[in-house]
Amino acid sequence: MGVNMSEDLKKQIVDLFHEKSKGDKKMFYIRDVTKWLPDVDRHTIHDAVKVLLDEGALVYWSSGSSTYLVLAEFFPKEEGSRS
Amino acid sequence: MAKSDTPLLDELEKGKWPSFVKDMKQAAQKSPMAEDLLRQLELSYKDKIGHWKHGGIVGVKGYGAGVIGRYSDRPDLFPNVQAFHTMRVNHPTGWFYKTDALRNLCDVWDKHGSSLTNMHGATGDVILLGTKTEHLQSCFDDLSAAGFDLGGSGSALRTPSACVGPGRCEWACVDSLDVCYNLTMHYQDKMHRPMFPYKFKIKVSACANDCVASIARSDFSVIGTWKGDIQINQKEVLAYAVSAINIQTEVCDLCPTKCMEWNGKELKIYNEDCTRCMHCINLMSKALRPGKERGATILVGGKAPIVQGALLSWVIVPFMKLEPPYTELKDLIDRIQDWWDEHGKSRERLGELITRLGMRVFLRAVGLPAVPQMVKAPRTNPYVFFWPEEIQKEVK
Repeated sequence: MGVNMSEDLKKQIVDLFHEKSKGDKKMFYIRDVTKWLPDVDRHTIHDAVKVLLDEGALVYWSSGSSTYLVLAEFFPKEEGSRS
Repeated sequence: MAKSDTPLLDELEKGKWPSFVKDMKQAAQKSPMAEDLLRQLELSYKDKIGHWKHGGIVGVKGYGAGVIGRYSDRPDLFPNVQAFHTMRVNHPTGWFYKTDALRNLCDVWDKHGSSLTNMHGATGDVILLGTKTEHLQSCFDDLSAAGFDLGGSGSALRTPSACVGPGRCEWACVDSLDVCYNLTMHYQDKMHRPMFPYKFKIKVSACANDCVASIARSDFSVIGTWKGDIQINQKEVLAYAVSAINIQTEVCDLCPTKCMEWNGKELKIYNEDCTRCMHCINLMSKALRPGKERGATILVGGKAPIVQGALLSWVIVPFMKLEPPYTELKDLIDRIQDWWDEHGKSRERLGELITRLGMRVFLRAVGLPAVPQMVKAPRTNPYVFFWPEEIQKEVK
């Protein structure tokens, strides 16, 4: 049951990332993810996100001071060209 | 004489202080990355704008911290710094290195990076400045083989740091090195897998001299202190009196709470008024020592001015006995981080959250009683701690 719930939660999180990433904004704080799922325990969400990071569905993007989460497919390509 | 390529940077070599430009020029003799770095910096001074793009890659397997992506926005001019990522390496507690460890570290960085380092960054880590994306994993692997690990960055627990403590200092009231190392090992996941609203810093000072400036620079400060009376050796006090120190003017008159009396023969301390400023102990090291019962004061909320102004830490536990495995300390840290994690806005530090929601809300949430030592500063009103129902109870 626990495994299924976890799989359900992971799918829910990935679906939400896809939905929220439809606009220009692709990177989200972990705080955003917990707000998307107000009825789910915060720690459970953290655990599910960590698994998604391990599986490569999500990746970290860090500015050095803050860390964001982004769907792997939307992770910016190697930077370096003039913005 | 050949015209310099970096006339503006050359100006920074003048004057009596050591210059980072000089160091960079030295590194540039053997590192093309350092050479391009110099030239890009010169352009930044010329254009009056930074030419870095910050952020991005956190490219080490299993880690979400410890690497800070950085890219040049003029790779056409400076191809060797197109990617110039920073790696933060967890320093040894108290910054004690064996020379072979330092040599290994430098060898790894000569192999994978620009050879430029910042020893050490504000948090305490070894900052390795400038490596390419394709070197991140192999550099990390070599660092691991040499016994080093990455530190914290981003919205994570940052690398805890501590003063040299009992390793070199006779005033140490707690083993700051052991506390720091123990916490570092215990919280590896929180350091390497960012899940916080923002950064969280822990610093440990073994006495109230606070040599790591934990009170100003950390969200959670552990500062060694003592209970009971300062130990006095009156013979040594007299020795100071007849040698170099004017005890009345240099010790008693400078005591912030005027808790000391000197009659020319004997020094008396009214310990109940002592605020542990350490001035007298520092000045008469042979005559005065901290009291015998030792532990730490726990404070929270220090930070530099970013969102709000600078905040100094605030006492929340006046005295905690600190003994391995530091369960009481870890439980407190967990409760505090959990409350902050639940209520903190993105990029809101613990001190800012407490300022926003109030100290009494914080104390209730983490299960601490309000005590007189929690007064934030002299002459501030401690009654902010009381809840309306408590005041009503008192009135009845």
